[in-house]
Amino acid sequence: MFTPPLDTLLVFMIGTPAIGWVIHKKGYPKVQGIYASAGLLVAAYFLYGLSREVSEKGIVLITGPPPFNPPLGACLQIDVFSVFMTMVYIIIGLFTTVYSIKFMERDSGLTEYYTLMLGMVAGMTGVVFAGDFFTLFVFWELMCLTSYALVAFRKQKWESIEAGFKYLIMSAAGSATILLAMSFLYGMTGTLNFAALADRLANTSSEGWLYITLALVIVGFGIKAAIVPFHTWLPDAHSAAPSPVSAMLSGVMVPTGACVLIRILLLVFSSAQPAWQMTLAIFAVFTMFGGNLMALLQNDLKRLLAFSTIAHMGYIVFGFAIASPEGLAASLFHIVNHAVMKSLLFLCAGAFIRQTKTRDLRKLKGIGKTMPMTSAAFTIGTIAIAAFPPLNGFWSEMMIITAGVRAEMIIFSALMLTNVALSVVYYFRLIRIIILEKPTKVSKKATKAPVLMLIPILVLAFLCVFIGVYPVPYIDASSKAAEAMLNIGAYIDVVLRGL
Amino acid sequence: MISLSYYIACAVVLYIIGMYCLASKRNMIKLVMGLEIMVNAAHVSFIAFSAYISPGYIDPLGHSVVIMSISFAGCVTALALVIVTYAYKHYKTLDVRKLRRLKW
Repeated sequence: MFTPPLDTLLVFMIGTPAIGWVIHKKGYPKVQGIYASAGLLVAAYFLYGLSREVSEKGIVLITGPPPFNPPLGACLQIDVFSVFMTMVYIIIGLFTTVYSIKFMERDSGLTEYYTLMLGMVAGMTGVVFAGDFFTLFVFWELMCLTSYALVAFRKQKWESIEAGFKYLIMSAAGSATILLAMSFLYGMTGTLNFAALADRLANTSSEGWLYITLALVIVGFGIKAAIVPFHTWLPDAHSAAPSPVSAMLSGVMVPTGACVLIRILLLVFSSAQPAWQMTLAIFAVFTMFGGNLMALLQNDLKRLLAFSTIAHMGYIVFGFAIASPEGLAASLFHIVNHAVMKSLLFLCAGAFIRQTKTRDLRKLKGIGKTMPMTSAAFTIGTIAIAAFPPLNGFWSEMMIITAGVRAEMIIFSALMLTNVALSVVYYFRLIRIIILEKPTKVSKKATKAPVLMLIPILVLAFLCVFIGVYPVPYIDASSKAAEAMLNIGAYIDVVLRGL
Repeated sequence: MISLSYYIACAVVLYIIGMYCLASKRNMIKLVMGLEIMVNAAHVSFIAFSAYISPGYIDPLGHSVVIMSISFAGCVTALALVIVTYAYKHYKTLDVRKLRRLKW
């Protein structure tokens, strides 16, 4: 129907309720989690096959039969960038699903949980595979709906419901804004296909409407990408969601918003490029400062990590705003690094919270004595995300700053450097609290985290060190993905000339 | 024929009404209604454009997007009303200004 990885994810998503119903009769508790993880492994295998096809052909186009081929019908247009992002989604999704087998075992409604997780990964995959706005919107709504339900998952607690409602209203307003922007683009050109839009809008005459649509697109996708005036849902939603869900949201879903935004800006709005570059750069600076300054004031562990996500989205959007091959490659590499580091931090935070039942940093002091392996992994993640040299955060953040300097955006790069230095303050505060303080009553009662939760945590910590020590293959992969994003001529040719 | 700009003005006015409703109403169910109004603004715009793009012919692409989007808006509304129900159970009120326990 679609392409094999996406098909696998959708089939497993629909199969999970069937499995859940069957085992509900029999009574084996953990089969749904294992089924979901197996689904992600199969999808990863098919994705590997797809990536070899993409590296041979450049761009894989999947369309319907002749009356419905583009530019009229919908299509999936898969290039190196899509495969790159999907690899990140499936790997992080696999780790969080394995982690949630143990973490969520005492919750009810586990069938729905794994269905929604698979649905979210399927939605994100479809969003980066999409070749036109119709497909994009369908998978975007799939991703959004599943994430609303996952944030409000623990419905017995008031916090999840309040955070879930706030998130739903803001994000659905964003989707409505995206839909209005789509309608204006449709009105200007008569098509919704990305390649056809890029072709027809390249030398446009309707300047005013293009700028209005540009504003609507930036607002609509910016709400999901946590750009600063539109970020207020993020701290509440990421603290109130269950920790594996926070890891997925923070690590992969928020960068998806930025990825789709830059893809649309590069393809469709290429004639207004100076305008959106400066706009995105200014928003990025506000985002960095907003995230870092608010994180300094937090006493809640997950809320602090959520504000740190906002700051890192500022770095990523700044890299995208540079719009040169080095800037885009740096941002893509930072998305990979941030996904690894931030999901590691959220999974460790989940382990702490599960063992001590509190998120308050003042009560979690000294928990490193009673939970040594988790705290060691947490420390590695925090040092990595504070951009210290042998670990992976350093390489991507330095790449973004040097790309900014090379593209003559020196003031913005200086501001980003200030922000990176500022963020070290609260990251080291975290390390001091977790390792160096004396244990409180609450943290003395913590026991070690279970093995099934420790495996993803230790693998992610190992990845932080591994990518940091030898980043070259990952930088190459990000550069290829960035080149594919910038290769608009080839993108248009595949659809319109039928190559 | 009525010129296209009236339909687009109607769509923009609907969008602004929806946003005003989201910004200023207190009842949670009215907020969900405001969301629906915003989505319908985009629907009106799509239908208007699909009629006026090529004269004498109605483009089916606009209509297909609207059908798909109406079903998604229905799903979002259903989920939102479920969350409103649970919020009523926790907070005993439908006033969204009482949901302010999460700050800073």
